[in-house]
Amino acid sequence: MKLTRSLKYHVPSILFAIFFLFPFYWLLESTTKDNTQLLQGTFTPGIPNHFIHDNLIGIFAFKNGVFANWLFNSFMYAVSGSLIGTFLAALAGFAFRRYQFFGRKFLFVLILGFAMVPGFATALPLFVMFKNLGMIDSYWAVIIPSLVNVFGVYLMVVYWNQIPEEMFDAAMIDGAGDFRIFWRIGLPSIVPGFTTLVLLSFVAIWNNYFLPLVMLSSSDKFPLILGITTVTSLQGFPVYNLSVMGAFLTSVPLLILFSFMQRFLSPQLTGAIK
Amino acid sequence: MRKTSTLKAYAFLAPFLVFFALVFVYPVLFGGYLSLFGQRGARMWWVGLGNYATVLTDPQFWGGFGLPAFLLFVQVPLMLLLGIIIALLYERIKHSRVYRLIFYLPYAMPGIVAGLLWAYIFSKSMSPFVPLMHAFGVKNPNFITYPSLPWILLIIILWEWTGYTSLILYSTLLSIPKEYAEQAQLDGATHTQVAYYIKVPLLKNTVLVLFIFNAIGALQVFNEPWILGQLITLSPNYTPAIYIYNEAFSYGAFTHAIAMGLVLAAVIFVISFFFLRRSTKELNIHA
Repeated sequence: MKLTRSLKYHVPSILFAIFFLFPFYWLLESTTKDNTQLLQGTFTPGIPNHFIHDNLIGIFAFKNGVFANWLFNSFMYAVSGSLIGTFLAALAGFAFRRYQFFGRKFLFVLILGFAMVPGFATALPLFVMFKNLGMIDSYWAVIIPSLVNVFGVYLMVVYWNQIPEEMFDAAMIDGAGDFRIFWRIGLPSIVPGFTTLVLLSFVAIWNNYFLPLVMLSSSDKFPLILGITTVTSLQGFPVYNLSVMGAFLTSVPLLILFSFMQRFLSPQLTGAIK
Repeated sequence: MRKTSTLKAYAFLAPFLVFFALVFVYPVLFGGYLSLFGQRGARMWWVGLGNYATVLTDPQFWGGFGLPAFLLFVQVPLMLLLGIIIALLYERIKHSRVYRLIFYLPYAMPGIVAGLLWAYIFSKSMSPFVPLMHAFGVKNPNFITYPSLPWILLIIILWEWTGYTSLILYSTLLSIPKEYAEQAQLDGATHTQVAYYIKVPLLKNTVLVLFIFNAIGALQVFNEPWILGQLITLSPNYTPAIYIYNEAFSYGAFTHAIAMGLVLAAVIFVISFFFLRRSTKELNIHA
C-alpha cells in the first residue's frame, strides 16, 4: 500500500497531535510564569521570564529544600526497584524456561494470578505488616514492594522463550554449570528484553503514587510524585507556580528516558502484550 | 530438551519467590485473616464474615462503581475507536513515526501529573480557555464542576492512554497479510472499505484484550480522581479504590477496608481469569 501524503489524512493527525501535545506545551510555558502571570491564563510564555528566579529556585527552597530529597528518593526507589526487580524476574523466568520441575505449571498460574490482585488489596495488609515490624514510614516500606515485578516475570518468560534450546545445549556440552549458563550466556542474550523491563519498571516505580501514599508520612522520604501534591501554602492552598515547576521536574527525567525507550519499545513489547 | 531438575529450578526461583510471598501471598492471606475482625482504633473483635456482609450490602461501596462503569462503557469504547482510527492513519501516512512518538508521549506522564495539569488547564483561575470563552461572550465558564467531572476524567484518561492503545492496534495491523488488502483493492474497494470490512474485523482479538485490560484499570482507578479531589470536593466513595483508602485512613476502619479491597480484588480476579487462561496457552507452559 502506497503511503500517502494527502491532506485528508494529515488534518486529523495534526488535530490529534495538538490535543496530545497541548498539556506539554502548557506545562513548559507555565514554568516561566509566576503566580500573577499564571492567573492571567495566556497561551504564551511569561514575560518577564520567571523560570529560574521564582520557580526553579523557589521549588528547591520550598520547606527547607525538601524537594532535593524528593528528587533523590524518586531516583533511589526507581533505580533500585527496577534493577533488582528485573534481575529477580530474569532469574525466575530462566527457571521456567530451562527446567521442567514439580509444580511448574501451577506456580506460573499462581504467580500470574496474584499479579491480578490490585495494589490496594495488598497495600493495606502490607501497611499493617510493616507497622507491626516498626518499618512504617521507612524507605524499605517502599523499596521492598517495588522489588516484586510479576508482570516482569511474565515478560521474562517471553524473552527467555526466544532463546533457542541449542544455545543452552551447547553450553552444557562445554561443561558450564547452571548459574554460569545463566550469567555468561543467558543474560547477555536477553539484554534488549532486560533493558526494556528495567525501563518499564523504572517508569512504573517513579510514577507509583498509592504505595508511598500509604507507607510514608515523613515528607523527607517522599518520592517526587507524592511530594509535589504537598506543595501548598500554610493554609493548604496549592502554590501554583511551584506546583507547575514541580510537575515539570517530575516529568523531565521520564521524557528523557522515553527517548531511550523508543528504540527498544515498539516491536517486542507490543508483540508480547498480544 | 528442557532439563528436569526441581532443585535447580527452585534455586533460581527462590529470590523472586521470597519477595513474592512477602509482598503478595502473605498480605492477601493475612488480609483475609484481618478482615474477619471488626475494628475501632486499636481494639479488634471477631466478626467472622460480618465485614463482608456489610460490604456486599453497602450501597456506598457499589455506588462507587458508577464512575468505573462510566469509564468502561464510555471512555474505553471511545478510546478503542480513536485508537483504531489512529492506527489506520499510521498505516496510510508517510512519516507516521513522528506522529507515533507524539501520540505516545502522554504515556510518559504520571497519572497524578496529568491530572494536575489538566485540572489547572481547566481551572477557573488559570485556564487559557477562560479568556477564549470570554471572547465568545461566555461570562464565567466553569469547566470543572461535580457533574462535569466524569467528562474531565474521560478527557484526561483518553489523553494518557490513546497513543499507547493505538500503537498496540498498529502492531496488530502490521501482522495482517498485505494480500488481503491488495486483493480487495484489485477488486475495486476503496481504502475506507478495505479498512472497515477487512482490517477492523481482524483487530477483534486485540480489541477484546485491550478492553479487558482497561476494564481492570477502570475498576481500580484512583490517581486521576484523587488528584482532582484536591481541587473539588468529592464524595468519599467516588471510586471503589478511593472509598477503600478513606475507610482505612480517614475513618480508621482498617479491617472493613481490607474486606472491601478483597471483594474488589475478587471482582477483578474473575475478569482477569479468563484472560489468564489464554496467555498460559500461548506461552507454552503446558509442555
